[in-house]
Amino acid sequence: MKKGIIIALALIITIAVQAQEFKIAKSTGRLEIKEVNHIMIEGYSGNEIVFTSKNHDREKDERAKGLRAVSSLGLEDNTGMGLSVIDKGGIIEVQQLKKMDGPEIVIKVPKGVIVSYSHSSPYGDDVEFNNVEGEIEVSTVHNDVKLNNVTGPMTVKTVHGDIEGSLNASMKNPISIVSVHGHVDIALPVGTKANLKLGTVYGEIFMDPDFKIEIEKSTSSNMIKVSSDNVSGKINGGGLDITLSSTHNNVYLRKK
Amino acid sequence: MKFMEKGKIEDLLIDYIDGKLTEADRLLVEKELLINEKTYKLYDQLKEVMQLMNQSSTLQPSAKLKADFDSFLKSESKPVKETKTIFFQPSFYRVAAAVALLIVGGGVVFTISNEYAKQQAELKAMQKEVKETKLMLMAMLDNQQSASQRVLGANVAYKMERTDDEIVRALVKAMNEDENSNVRLAALDALRKFYHQDHVRKTLIASMATQKDPIVQIALIRLLAEMKEKEIVRELQRITTDEEELPAVKDEAHAALHQLV
Repeated sequence: MKKGIIIALALIITIAVQAQEFKIAKSTGRLEIKEVNHIMIEGYSGNEIVFTSKNHDREKDERAKGLRAVSSLGLEDNTGMGLSVIDKGGIIEVQQLKKMDGPEIVIKVPKGVIVSYSHSSPYGDDVEFNNVEGEIEVSTVHNDVKLNNVTGPMTVKTVHGDIEGSLNASMKNPISIVSVHGHVDIALPVGTKANLKLGTVYGEIFMDPDFKIEIEKSTSSNMIKVSSDNVSGKINGGGLDITLSSTHNNVYLRKK
Repeated sequence: MKFMEKGKIEDLLIDYIDGKLTEADRLLVEKELLINEKTYKLYDQLKEVMQLMNQSSTLQPSAKLKADFDSFLKSESKPVKETKTIFFQPSFYRVAAAVALLIVGGGVVFTISNEYAKQQAELKAMQKEVKETKLMLMAMLDNQQSASQRVLGANVAYKMERTDDEIVRALVKAMNEDENSNVRLAALDALRKFYHQDHVRKTLIASMATQKDPIVQIALIRLLAEMKEKEIVRELQRITTDEEELPAVKDEAHAALHQLV
């Protein structure tokens, strides 16, 4: 009898969770996420893109029953979680309806999907990528970017945000991470074979002494160094192109 | 006349047979022939040979001999003729020299042309490689699906020894128009390497007025200020007074103005 209750409860919970889930069968192509304020992206080895919301359950809003959410951008809440997801022939466009705040979204993404995240409003939050093995493109103005155990290839840029991350040993070319005002703090496995380009103008560059870098001196160019600091060189004989730069802040390269 | 050498006797005897000797010599030879049996024998032999020689013009060789000789002649005639011309015609030296010259010259020309062909082949292979690299690079820069591929394309250009107009155009387009800042920066990095090419310099200066991406604007201002490009002063002044520009870009423009003016 007790067992039966537990099973019944589990079923109810699954149904409840499923109600907040939205899936698209897709294992290739491009996922473009625009102006979604609170988001976490997780890589997994499935073949559908799965959207879940942690807090936004429209079912709970009695007053909204039978009504349709509309937005000035003409977006349609087709997920039931304040999120518009449109398939535009290979490109899945994701936008939230609310301008400020908005739902807390987790998106599970298959390996073969390119994830592009762009955000420019000041109402955002950190964007987090966990275990993503596909290509990542990030462009933010204010948001911090967190990269945990990702492989790239990736192009990450922010104007005011900090970028922190630790990269998986099976990294893919290229890795380009730049910030204007925030710091860039990246951990790599010591054995990574790479052509590093570390740059800052007003900040400093720090790296773990265990990385033995062969600094490439720019003898061929007749450039005059004024105040910027650019370190280019190979580690472990060279390989991947890794660019880390912050104009006004520091660049940290640590070992994983 | 015992002391007489055999060769000399022979000469005397030949002349004797021919009747060319002086009276005194003729007597001497006759006397010798009478007393010396060996000399007489020699005289006999010589006389026979000389008679044969005199007759030879009239002698007809037997049919078989002629056929044999003809066939022999046929088989040997060419080399024999050549050896004859090689060693006995003075004009041949000139011909030989000419031929030798031709051979040597031909050899040199052959070696040179061979070397040339080899170089051409190498050049072609290199050109092909460059062309392939270029195609790959252009395709990468044009990949709308993946910004990473476009960054890689710019990185390939960065690693190239030299560029051409087409690559520069593609890089300039990427720097000015790509939606991804990392791609723009990578393109600028590649262009920075070819800064000494005049048209690259000009396009970078021109890009100052149109560049909207703050990260690239800052990088561009820094680069052109480092290069002491006075031409950008006016543009920098515009940026410092433009309400729309980001403070960071304005700061950079101010700093650059300090450097340049």
